[in-house]
Amino acid sequence: MLFLCFLWLTPITTTLLVAFKSRTEYLNQKFYELPSAFGFFENLINSLESYRIHHHIGNSLFYAVTAGSLSIIFGAMAGYNLSRIKPKYNLLIFFIIYLGTVFPFQMYLIPLFKYYDKLNLYDTKTGMVLIYTALCIPFSLFVFRGYYNTMPKEVEEAAKIDGCGIYKTFLYIFLPNSIAPIAVVALFQMTFIWNDLLFGLVLSMSPDVRPVMVAVASMSGRSGGTMPWIMSTVILTSLPTILLFYLLKKHFITGMQMLLK
Amino acid sequence: MNNYLLCIPALLFVVIFLFVPVIENIYYSFFKWDGLSEPIFIGVRNYIKVINDYSFVSSFINTMIWVIFTLIFPVFGGLLIAYYIRGLKFENFYKTIIYIPFTISFVATGVIWTYIYGRDLGVLNGILSIFGVDKINWLTNYPLNNFSLIIAWTWQQMGVNLVLYLMGLSTIPKEPVESAVIEGANKFQVFIYIIIPMLKPISVVVITMAMVNSFKVFDLIYVVTRGGPAKTTETLAITMFRESFVMFNMGYGSAISIILTAIILLISFIYMKNSLSTEAIHI
Repeated sequence: MLFLCFLWLTPITTTLLVAFKSRTEYLNQKFYELPSAFGFFENLINSLESYRIHHHIGNSLFYAVTAGSLSIIFGAMAGYNLSRIKPKYNLLIFFIIYLGTVFPFQMYLIPLFKYYDKLNLYDTKTGMVLIYTALCIPFSLFVFRGYYNTMPKEVEEAAKIDGCGIYKTFLYIFLPNSIAPIAVVALFQMTFIWNDLLFGLVLSMSPDVRPVMVAVASMSGRSGGTMPWIMSTVILTSLPTILLFYLLKKHFITGMQMLLK
Repeated sequence: MNNYLLCIPALLFVVIFLFVPVIENIYYSFFKWDGLSEPIFIGVRNYIKVINDYSFVSSFINTMIWVIFTLIFPVFGGLLIAYYIRGLKFENFYKTIIYIPFTISFVATGVIWTYIYGRDLGVLNGILSIFGVDKINWLTNYPLNNFSLIIAWTWQQMGVNLVLYLMGLSTIPKEPVESAVIEGANKFQVFIYIIIPMLKPISVVVITMAMVNSFKVFDLIYVVTRGGPAKTTETLAITMFRESFVMFNMGYGSAISIILTAIILLISFIYMKNSLSTEAIHI
């Protein structure tokens, strides 16, 4: 088992090793030889200059935070609506939104591409935020609806007695108690947006709009590229999601359990 | 009206950006279209074309290979490891290590494994050259290249299956296992006749999720090989992308995406129906 763990970590250790080598060292050394200098930051600066990764990182950060927040807010609202107010077409609405998870992304690509072109949303930050929000809403709805289903009725009734209508109840009672689902949705969806390749590839073009993973993908590829630069960029762009996961680790378990229901 | 107000933003987003495109996609699949000029109606010709299209057929075969080996390696492997490490002293340590690759993006995984599989400067060939063995073309030999990618995929996906199965194992009560051991069953028999059946509910989730995800693999393959060389590592998801956004056969691409979706829905449906019905018999 320990051997398996060692094997498992090998891809990561070799990546780290390469990221620290200078270009000449990479081309001339064997893969297991240690780099002589601390070339990591030099590699990073080179790749930042050539590929303007910092633009892409900024874009992805913006998308993750904006679309993530929007999907949390809209998902919470809809979850509350379906869970507590229970309007007549409850299940139908839930089903419609659920359909958002059934289809592979390839189903959306071509029509979206055409849409975006017609509506001048192609290659715009707004366009990216809109599609990411739409993609994240179904999961967000699941989580919030499931969570609100577990809240006891007494809380609602106490609020009613105090004179709160449905909106006030939502704002002042349900929402503040929603830290857990917010954390779960934030973790999964922000990671998803940050890691996205497909939509970034199809719906954007310029460095001002393209998300970070598209940039990393174009750095690699069979033309080779400069490995140490690419590796240092990979490490840099993987850190946010690793950090996010580490910070919200306990919510991850909760999220998994909700997934199972 | 009041009762629906809070739902409206969510509904709007999903209907406009997800629902309508699906319907339009189905519509476009009956046309010949390059994305710029007027679409030409051709009925079901796109669907008939796939049967004669050699690259579609090989892409379909690759996709099936992916699904089957995803079930063997990340899913079943995850189950074995979960069963093995459960209760061990370093269970959490092992769990974390195996799970780490799941926290990075598919793109990052792709880049990392491109280096490992690299022909001249890569890690694996470096190891081989220490032993005096010839270099292997991990990424250019068909069908090896597909398996190279599947290994990379396994590296990343094993963790989530492991975690889910560990959760499932913790729900199994001790009594059946204990009584079986008393009656003389060895570890292997316990595993096959007790553990696996009792893991059915969570297996359905794990297997369905893994199957659907393996149909949809795009990022990993795109980053490492772009589907090449000569389309040998293409799966349906990549083929659809190439036809639509590289060759600009958008009608054809739509048809492929619909076929892909239909296969996914069909297999998920058959699988779930099967497992749920056998469960009903047990009760």
